[in-house]
Amino acid sequence: MDYRSNRVRTLTIALLSVLAFSVVVSAQGVVEEPQKEDPPLVLFVVGCCVLPWILFALAWVVFGAAYPFMFLFGALFSGRNLERRVNAVVLREQASIEHFGKDPLSTLKGSHIVGGVNNSGLVYSSIVYAPSHWMLLIVWFNNLIGGRINILQKVIAAARSEAKQLLRERAMEEGWDEVLNVRIDTAEMTPASAKNGPRAVEIFAYGTGVKYG
Amino acid sequence: MQHIRDGIMVVNTETIAGKVITQNLGVVGGSTVRAKNVGRDITQALRNIMGGELVKYTELLEESRSEAIGRMVADAAARGANAIVNVRFATSAVTSGAAELFAYGTAVKVE
Repeated sequence: MDYRSNRVRTLTIALLSVLAFSVVVSAQGVVEEPQKEDPPLVLFVVGCCVLPWILFALAWVVFGAAYPFMFLFGALFSGRNLERRVNAVVLREQASIEHFGKDPLSTLKGSHIVGGVNNSGLVYSSIVYAPSHWMLLIVWFNNLIGGRINILQKVIAAARSEAKQLLRERAMEEGWDEVLNVRIDTAEMTPASAKNGPRAVEIFAYGTGVKYG
Repeated sequence: MQHIRDGIMVVNTETIAGKVITQNLGVVGGSTVRAKNVGRDITQALRNIMGGELVKYTELLEESRSEAIGRMVADAAARGANAIVNVRFATSAVTSGAAELFAYGTAVKVE
């Protein structure tokens, strides 16, 4: 529904801007006849104002035309891409656990460390992840019936495990031995009350990296 | 290194292991509100249809978050602190076009 109304808006904007542009062009033609050297400054100003709008409208037209294809593409491949991504994260997780000798992330506060700590600092990572519109359609149907919505849970779980893995990799990069007091935050990109806008979730993980003394 | 900015240690645990807190200088915070640009919006809207990671938005939020941390650190430096403990983050979507990122913690002096 949103996108249909968008398309209508786009078309009206495009029409209006074309009209305005033609008016400007014809005015230019009329004015240029008597004095050839100096077209009035107003035309430049108006042209500069109209041009971005035309580009913007064109972009929306392209978006409207591409939407069905992208939707189909998402319907066919989004599930498979998600699975591939989850499998890749599992492999990376194994590699980093091998590097640290254990899972470096914990929600402990550090009293279990026997040898003392040499240095510490903040580590954080974030990822923005979106379900495809096909999935949102399925969710909409699910909402009619009620019950649990597995498909969104899968997306968010994948995003969360990826954020945790990014945190491990960053800790590895910065040379920490362990990450303490890890917190995982979830935020929506678009408030639930807004009609338009990207339907995506941002996962943010942070913790304190420590180096054993 | 990234975790020590202007000589100020930033951690999200209550104490810094191996150091003693001698003075509490109060809560410090920093925030940024970031809007996306139109070009990014269009490409990311196309990505959004297919699902998956929205790379540009990830980058954007990462950048703004480090800016928020930078402001928090500047606030702490102005109070003469040399560490910030118990740092927390909060994110809120103000409208669909902008996100507010907020970092806060307690500025302390450690030895």
